[in-house]
Amino acid sequence: MAAANKDYYEVLGVKRDAADEEIKKAYRKLARKFHPDLNPGDKTAEEQFKRLQEAYDVLSNAENRKLYDQYGENWRAVKAGAGPPPPGWTGAQQGAPPPGWDEAQRGSRPGAGGFDFGDFDLGGFSGGGGRFDIFEDLFGGARGRGPRSGRGRDVEAELELTLEEAHRGGRRTLQMQAAEICPTCNGSGMKDGNTCPTCDGAGQVLRPKNIEVNIPAGVRDGSTIRLAGQGGAGSNGSEPGDLYLHIRLRAHPVFTVKGDDLETELSIAPWEAVLGAKVEAPTIDGKVEVSVPAGTKTGQRLRLRGQGLNKRKGGRGDEYVRLKIAVPQQVSPEERRLYEELQRVSRFNPRS
Amino acid sequence: MMWTSDFDLDEPLTFDVVAETIGAKRSLVMRLAQHGLIETVDAGTDEPRLPRRVVVRLRRMQRLRRDLGVNFAGAAVILDLVQRIEQLNRELAEMRLPEK
Repeated sequence: MAAANKDYYEVLGVKRDAADEEIKKAYRKLARKFHPDLNPGDKTAEEQFKRLQEAYDVLSNAENRKLYDQYGENWRAVKAGAGPPPPGWTGAQQGAPPPGWDEAQRGSRPGAGGFDFGDFDLGGFSGGGGRFDIFEDLFGGARGRGPRSGRGRDVEAELELTLEEAHRGGRRTLQMQAAEICPTCNGSGMKDGNTCPTCDGAGQVLRPKNIEVNIPAGVRDGSTIRLAGQGGAGSNGSEPGDLYLHIRLRAHPVFTVKGDDLETELSIAPWEAVLGAKVEAPTIDGKVEVSVPAGTKTGQRLRLRGQGLNKRKGGRGDEYVRLKIAVPQQVSPEERRLYEELQRVSRFNPRS
Repeated sequence: MMWTSDFDLDEPLTFDVVAETIGAKRSLVMRLAQHGLIETVDAGTDEPRLPRRVVVRLRRMQRLRRDLGVNFAGAAVILDLVQRIEQLNRELAEMRLPEK
């Protein structure tokens, strides 16, 4: 949303008479700290960066800085009108800036161009206890490239899935706050020469929106899903941006993922290891019975062919069950007697 | 409002499409790939393709370059390190979960 109206010099931590170089230095220093690409998922840093960028946008342009020094936070209204207002001006009679005015200003500034992170926000994830947060949005096609200008911004978000969801696929409803063009000012950010009261000058408002996503079976950690047209709203009837969902797989309590294969550890009793046994092993689809061969050693792996993860283009990976011989921590007198007897009769020497 | 969306999942893209999407020249994307700053996939075509996540990475690189004044090689290092930090943070968070 719109950055809080704060003193731009304070935001950058510079004096009012700071030289351009100082302003740039202060901006770069703070940008290194708060840049959203360096702080993914950090809302506070994103907000800070927005404020920072707004301040730098204004103060790095000599003309805008002069207007800001003179008129404070209403400088935009002055700029949009025909020259400086007469004394006693209240700011009410100036017309709204022409559409696209803000972009044009940004575009004309050399060096760091302005894009803002402020037009999209995603709230909590509904359903399935998943986590879904926006970690940034992108500058959309608004920079040049004729036909694409006005296109809404592309948005990135992270979608955390359980291993089962990635394996089987399914539907998830994402509840998010999507930016739409402000109905009061039609995206200009100005109303009757003042900052638009509805959107606070941002030109966009947030509205809740549900998106139902079909998650195909076989997505993996790091997969990127593009939802065409689900990003930020486009201005003046242009197409909206896209939503990029980055898939993260939550760590599974039982399985480790190795590409298409799954790994798990299974404990067996000493006598099962020696004599062989049929035991239940977990798979992503439920339990199966596996044969532990006689004479199994700790660390030995059983391959359960085709019990791994579904692949995107059909087929499945394998599951590997790593066997581990577990030793009872407490034994009954009877068990103890039997182990002692085993000790007496056995010729096995593990260290030979 | 309820939408149902289908999507393209990580279908590899051509250099032309990636360049168009991020508003850059094809030659720049090619150069970044040649220097190993972005990954490519062998799609059995004349020219390698780019996984879709490269678009996101390139946009981040563009932003870092513009906002912090680093070059593309520097931006690539930054992004790799951020990714490693994220990975470590996730592992740390998992380790801190109470044992079941």
